[in-house]
Amino acid sequence: MSVTSTSPTTNPLSDFAKRLRANFQTYALIVATVIIWVGFSVWSGGTYLGAQNFSNIFRQMTITALLSVGMVLVIVTGHIDLSVGKLAGFVSVVVAYMQATYWPKVLPGHELLTTILSVLIGLAVGALYGVFQGYVIAHLRVPAFIVTLGSFWILNGAILLRTAGKTIPANQPFLSVIAQGYLSPLVGWIVAIFVVGLLFITMFISRRRKVKYGFDLPPIYQDLTRTAFFAALVVAYVFYVNQYNGIQIPVLLLAVIAVAVAYISNNTRFGRYAYAIGGNREATRLSGVNIRGNIFMVFVLMGFLCGVSGVTLASYVGYGTIAAGTGYELDAIAACILGGTSTLGGIGTIPGAMIGGLIMASLTTGLQIMNVAPAWQYVLKGLVLVLAVYVDVYFKKNR
Amino acid sequence: MAMNNDIILEFRNVTKRFPGVVALSDASFQIRRGEIHGICGENGAGKSTLMKILSGVYPHGTYEGHVIYNGEELKLRASSIHEAAERGIAIVYQELTLIPTMTVGENVFLGREPVEFGVINRDKLYADTRAILSKYQMDVSPLEIVKNLGVGKMQMVEIAKALSENAKVLILDEPTSALSKAEVEKLMGILRGLKEHGVTCIYISHKLEEFFQITDSITVLRDGKMITTQPTSELNLEKLVSTMVGREMKERFPKGKRSPGRVIFEVENLHALDPNDSEREVLKGVSFDLREGEILGIAGLMGSGRTELVMTIFGEYGKITSGKIRLNGREIKIKSSHEAMLHGISLVPEDRKQHGLVLIQSILRNISLANLDQFAHWFRIDDSAELKASLSFAKSLAIKAPDLHAPADSLSGGNQQKVVISKWLMSKPKVLIMDDPTRGVDVGAKFEIYKLMNDLSESGISIIMISSELEEVVGMSDRIMVMCEDKSNGTFDVSEATQERIMALATGISAG
Ligand SMILES: Nc1ncnc2c1ncn2[C@@H]1O[C@H](COP(=O)(O)OP(=O)(O)OP(=O)(O)O)[C@@H](O)[C@H]1O
Ligand SMILES: [Mg+2]
Repeated sequence: MSVTSTSPTTNPLSDFAKRLRANFQTYALIVATVIIWVGFSVWSGGTYLGAQNFSNIFRQMTITALLSVGMVLVIVTGHIDLSVGKLAGFVSVVVAYMQATYWPKVLPGHELLTTILSVLIGLAVGALYGVFQGYVIAHLRVPAFIVTLGSFWILNGAILLRTAGKTIPANQPFLSVIAQGYLSPLVGWIVAIFVVGLLFITMFISRRRKVKYGFDLPPIYQDLTRTAFFAALVVAYVFYVNQYNGIQIPVLLLAVIAVAVAYISNNTRFGRYAYAIGGNREATRLSGVNIRGNIFMVFVLMGFLCGVSGVTLASYVGYGTIAAGTGYELDAIAACILGGTSTLGGIGTIPGAMIGGLIMASLTTGLQIMNVAPAWQYVLKGLVLVLAVYVDVYFKKNR
Repeated sequence: MAMNNDIILEFRNVTKRFPGVVALSDASFQIRRGEIHGICGENGAGKSTLMKILSGVYPHGTYEGHVIYNGEELKLRASSIHEAAERGIAIVYQELTLIPTMTVGENVFLGREPVEFGVINRDKLYADTRAILSKYQMDVSPLEIVKNLGVGKMQMVEIAKALSENAKVLILDEPTSALSKAEVEKLMGILRGLKEHGVTCIYISHKLEEFFQITDSITVLRDGKMITTQPTSELNLEKLVSTMVGREMKERFPKGKRSPGRVIFEVENLHALDPNDSEREVLKGVSFDLREGEILGIAGLMGSGRTELVMTIFGEYGKITSGKIRLNGREIKIKSSHEAMLHGISLVPEDRKQHGLVLIQSILRNISLANLDQFAHWFRIDDSAELKASLSFAKSLAIKAPDLHAPADSLSGGNQQKVVISKWLMSKPKVLIMDDPTRGVDVGAKFEIYKLMNDLSESGISIIMISSELEEVVGMSDRIMVMCEDKSNGTFDVSEATQERIMALATGISAG
């Protein structure tokens, strides 16, 4: 009974069971999301899953979800980043200041150009801060927990300095598009067709590659069913959000970034090494991997994503304030954990974290719609997190 | 019923399944009271699984069949890990389980420390430890910190830990895989002493000669099935090997047709300090050279500095104070394993769990980890090419697993070792350093590893192989360097090698 083939066996039923077991966690999360949605819909008499609210749930999750995309890799390598909320907040304040105060003085009248410059500066601030943190953690070897805790305070101070306690408006029309804009239904459908086409093309490319290397192919209907399922999800989503204003631009942004980073984490050396480092740092180092360089890059990526998140935040709320980004780091971490990222490192996926974030956003929105007092919203959120992880531990033990 | 009284343990139709694997299928055999009973079989045959059933890792109800102990069925509960020990079944697992930062005594009594009013009574703890150690003539201090011990002594501490409750059955799962000959002799002495104290011993090993030194009878497992139980006196090595692998094996070491070329790698009078303790010198003058396409064996006792030497060369251990390392005639300074690999030097580390494997990841990911550069086009890793290359190694070494996506920690010890070997054989370096590469690997798979080593060296790759098995060093090397007390103590051609000569150099009894 030695290794003969790694392709799925010919028995589709047992194969299905195997797949189900392997992706148990993802399916459990999807089921949980659906239960939450249905539950709140019934409770709210239908408004909860109306097109408008549905659209808003997704739009609301983007800012912390952008942070979770990077946080997954940070936790996977066995680290933590407590500064992401404040860094996103600081970026949002910088962007607000740039487009409201600085550029209008230096380059009056060029609204589009100055918005672009403000955004680029925001992204650069995030990435540069990531470079700084990555250097201290990876090369000076100060534990990430300490460094990012320090950064939390440093950035908090920086936010206070920049705002001087006041609120800076961030309502340039071009800037607002980033988090408040929508694609028109027609453009939405074009995007949908493009994505569906891409799904099928990747499926066929992957099958062709398997043939080239002489592996057994899974039956075509199996691949087709799966791809068709994802295609249907995309179409249904676009159809539904088109009932309200159309595809939300921030959600599109999140989707592109999440897919890109997920791809990187599975298909590049950088991503593979991140998982290996979290699984066994010593063994990975002895495999000739440049551990420090890799960890450094993880924090640079995290910083850049904080930049993206901060720009979106400025656009979303329309101003930069002293409270910008407060508590987002915990939401981002919670989304990762809900999505199956192991705090011990080595395990975790970006799609999982996205669903984790969706669950949190669905819950928050639902409780708000039902006018549950904020105090109880916190209590419930905390309970859900612990309960979810307990259920996961329980099923892992008893499988 | 006098007959039954002789039988201390009986397995009746024991079957144990894991997802995708049947580890034991319908195995039945008996073990007589007071004997030393050897169990042998290929990697993944189910030996460790059987022992874990006895020790309660897989409690009653998680397997099919019956285990009869002292005339009644053994029903260990999942909730209590000490139950087996309380009933007199002691086990020393395949992998060391000591906590390196604690003392010998604390390790021996871990989890059942003598307490008075809720406080640990250290004096009693150390006194009791000393009593156990001296009863079985183990030469270790109870106060020593475990990480300062050599593997041989650690193994003794493991045994002491297992024995400290009145053990009737002692299970030893590959206790000698990391030991050198002298230490094996010591262990044998301890086992004979235990036998005199009436302890029944179950002994698992891949060093088959040991069975003939110490066991009274031998059970052979193959693919989870019991093949035979026979008195050792009725067996010989050839018979045992052929029952074990299911075919004849004429030779243990494949003949290579190597013709080593010019010198490509040189180490000259290397001295180095312990990185954590700059008072202590860990290398006290090592010199050797390595030719293209050559296999250089490094022999020596445990603790003679062999692992320290190769880890230092690899840039991962000692602080070099003097001496030179030259590759292709040019002096090189290696500061990390990353740099070493850029120079074309790879190392198969000694400790597979800590340094060799990412246990939570799949076999595939483990094999390819050191070799992703081979499969990367621009940024993207060609996962089909990765799978194909990994499969070919998995096949030739017969890694036993449902597929390559199985996590490494679900493999048997020997199969894990094969994964580590595959990873490094795939890396195609210029110089391949192997630190005890066949530890815990069965005879059949060893042969395959040797064949791959021959292929590599014939294609011009130079190999440095550390081994604690003298036969292996003599069987595979072109030249042999012997280390003694952190120094190189002589290098000679394999044609001039005898086991006596190597042992003499290794123990430093005579020079030359
Ligand atoms: N936790 C587990 N999950 C899945 N499969 C397992 C697990 N533990 C063991 N196996 C499988 O059971 C089989 C028997 O393993 P076992 O460890 O008993 O082998 P072994 O005879 O001790 O081999 P070795 O000589 O390599 O130590 C192997 O095929 C192994 O892959
Ligand atoms: Mg074993």
